Amino acid sequence: MKKPYFLLLALGFPIMSMAQVTFTATNYNQIPSGWPSYNLATVDMNGDYLDDIVVVSATEITILYQQAAGGFTSTTITTTNADYTPDWSMAVGDIDKNGFNDLLYGSGGGVTFMKANATGTAYTETSFNEYVFSQRTNFVDINNDGHLDAFVCHDVAPNVYYINDGSGNLTFNQGGIGDHAEGGNYGSIWVDYDNDGDQDCFIAKCRGGGSSASIDELHQNDGNGNFTNVAVAANMANADQSWSGAWNDYDNDGDMDAMVGASSAPNGETGVHSLMRNNGDGTFTNITNGTGWENNNTLSIEHVSYDFDNNGFADMFGGSDYLAGGGGKFMYNNGDMTFTAFVDPGVNISDASIGDLNNDGFLDLRDGQTVYYNNGNNNNWIKIQLKGIASNFNGIGARVEIYGAWGKQIRDVRSGDGFAHMNTLNVHFGIGTATEIDSVRVLWPSGHVDVVDSPTINNDVTIVEGADPLSLIEIGNQKLELFPNPATVSLSISNVGLLNVSELTIYNMHGEKMLTQSRNFETINVSTLAEGAYILMIQTTDGEKYSESFVKKN
Amino acid sequence: MKNILYLLGIILLVQIVVTIPSCQKDDPDISPIGQSEVTVDLSTVPYPVLSDYKFFRGEMKYQIPSSDVIAYAPATPLFTDYALKKRFIWMPDGEKASYVADNKVLEMPVGTVLIKTFYYKNVLPNGATKIIETRLLIRKASGWIFANYKWNDEQTEAYLTTSASTVPISWLQDGEQKSTNYRIPSETECLICHKHQGQPVPIGIKPQNLNNLFKYTEGSRNQLSKLIQAGYLEPGLPANITSTINYKDQSKSVDLRLRSYLDANCAHCHAEGGHCDYRPMRLAFSETVDPVNIGLCVEPDEFVGAAYTSIITPSQPDRSVMHLRLSTNQPNLRMPLIGRTIVHEEGLELLEEWIYSKKDCH
Repeated sequence: MKKPYFLLLALGFPIMSMAQVTFTATNYNQIPSGWPSYNLATVDMNGDYLDDIVVVSATEITILYQQAAGGFTSTTITTTNADYTPDWSMAVGDIDKNGFNDLLYGSGGGVTFMKANATGTAYTETSFNEYVFSQRTNFVDINNDGHLDAFVCHDVAPNVYYINDGSGNLTFNQGGIGDHAEGGNYGSIWVDYDNDGDQDCFIAKCRGGGSSASIDELHQNDGNGNFTNVAVAANMANADQSWSGAWNDYDNDGDMDAMVGASSAPNGETGVHSLMRNNGDGTFTNITNGTGWENNNTLSIEHVSYDFDNNGFADMFGGSDYLAGGGGKFMYNNGDMTFTAFVDPGVNISDASIGDLNNDGFLDLRDGQTVYYNNGNNNNWIKIQLKGIASNFNGIGARVEIYGAWGKQIRDVRSGDGFAHMNTLNVHFGIGTATEIDSVRVLWPSGHVDVVDSPTINNDVTIVEGADPLSLIEIGNQKLELFPNPATVSLSISNVGLLNVSELTIYNMHGEKMLTQSRNFETINVSTLAEGAYILMIQTTDGEKYSESFVKKN
Repeated sequence: MKNILYLLGIILLVQIVVTIPSCQKDDPDISPIGQSEVTVDLSTVPYPVLSDYKFFRGEMKYQIPSSDVIAYAPATPLFTDYALKKRFIWMPDGEKASYVADNKVLEMPVGTVLIKTFYYKNVLPNGATKIIETRLLIRKASGWIFANYKWNDEQTEAYLTTSASTVPISWLQDGEQKSTNYRIPSETECLICHKHQGQPVPIGIKPQNLNNLFKYTEGSRNQLSKLIQAGYLEPGLPANITSTINYKDQSKSVDLRLRSYLDANCAHCHAEGGHCDYRPMRLAFSETVDPVNIGLCVEPDEFVGAAYTSIITPSQPDRSVMHLRLSTNQPNLRMPLIGRTIVHEEGLELLEEWIYSKKDCH
């Protein structure tokens, strides 16, 4: 099946079509609208991977659950009173791994967490006393311990973050990830820009008066949760007034590029946005001129990147050209690192939350009561849905790759993208006219790698961490295998001597650590485990991690 | 002149002492002649309680200034949820401020204290006056520092506070009940407006805002003259000072009233060099002679709705972004961003009047 594509490539035919999409607006009166409601999130809330519509106020959460058969079922849940409401942004993630997403509200005065109960039927708030002039909020596993932490940009002081103890209890921290005394922090995007498997943090910054607080920051994670601002060396120390950066691999070369979006042109200059190509060596080159971006003078506080037309190349949405005839501003990626501007008069908005609200594989936009359904085209696609085990439940921070005739496409799973909204946690790829995907590879924050070969296109694929491990483990034709499987008393590992093992860990399917063993790696006693499915993780002395699932039976 | 004031103050104190002998021991009349009643030791400020400074005489809640504590008020105040304000200035003996420019804060000597008390009248349920906080700006050798004092419920003392807090309050505003969660800001919040190149600075005490009459106990006088006479300001000011006016003064032009209002309420961020100078408005009084700087027919940076085609659209408030931002309480949309949670109806009406007065883009 692969050969025809290579032939086409060889003949110089483009295999990806460039097909801009249009959107059709549909209004839903049951969506609460208007302040003090906050219409910021389009994301699955109940674990069925169908994106839901989420609207909150200080005392209510309204969820329009997307139904498998199409349409929505609306529920309004009264919550305990949130001290702080998401005046500036909202993030969503499951901080206690109970299968129901929790919410993070960023207000101008502080931060509130709204935690779901074990059935997703009630929510309880936890607020922090510390003053935070919140801007972008994120859920991200900052210390990579398998539990989601929270990060909040501070407008007027050093950034703050909240570390999760593993039970969903959070501790306030300030300092270490963006410490400019005047703040200026607007758009934090957690992204593995240096492909080293940990989460780095880019901060789009803004401040008047010639303050150095306007200079963007790029905080490189050393893998141990220590962050260093490398923006100057990386050529990302941009002093433009930016509230958001749109990160994606725009040229499909395997690393994350950045479009740093300007929110103002203080001296009336044009060409204010910066398209920064990742050189793959930890540095970026400003390639704006000649890409089409130099002619985009639409200012916006929001910029996000998705493949709206499913042509296999990431596009950008942000801003509105309402004076030039009206409409949301799209920059469609032509596939050769040039972009074509498209103003959609049917999308008379400048920002939206983004998800697939009719589960057709084409990403839709939502603003207030209006869903702008993507009319789609003939391009093919795949949707990857993650369930973390050793990593956080949502797989936030995972790198997802698809391989095929085009080579490689990558995405990062983010909670908190652009400036204010919370978008789908499912990972979307368009593949143009390609009809086959060789494999999907998930690099989990834990270090696990799962691989699914030849997934069905135009479909969704759910990948459970450790369930499709990268060849457990073939070294010189010798395999590591678990036996017996199912196991009752003890589980043995064949050829375990091929690895320099430092520790064995068994997780249940909720990601809870059940057993650890730090010597005698040939067998592990599983007699105390309840019946069910488990994941065995093998960690080596060089920090590599391998995992395999097994079943316990009594 | 200052000595005469001292003398007057002491005479006044003596009267108090005579009438209320039980206070004799605590009264500050034991100060040697020529020395201020006020105590500001720069090595130990901020003090734990407001009364330590001895800025006021008698019951502190009446805010009767000590002899060399001088009341002042800018022509147009900043709106902060209808809070009423009393402002005072004190300087060490023999020290003077100097004029820099009409639109620049006075250059004040080390030791200067600016005192600003926030209170409400007709507070529900019983219509009392309630003082919420007193903010100090103290000029140390290293620069200005903030010190906020939160008043107790008994209104007998105010305590230094470094963290933010909110005080729920309801009152009658011209007969209409209003409520707010009044916010006492943290130092970080103070700095959002009170800063220049990251350093704390005063805002309102500029010649342009003080070149007007103020009712002192001895009668109405020009505030700049009063400061000069009190020995707090170097004499020899320019003959003509380009001055703001009281935005409520119906005898003045709508343009002058709005420009004064914008200066007081917006220019700490929206002026050249300000926190938000990356947006196209320039709203300092010295910059708004040109209505383009107010945003007349200027395209906004940020899309807030398809109808809002300009920051100010002539004669169309409902197509003017500034009008939207002053008329909403939605936190990510309202202006100013901090310091108000309810709409200032009178300010909004003035803006409407100004927008209607504009028939074209000039």
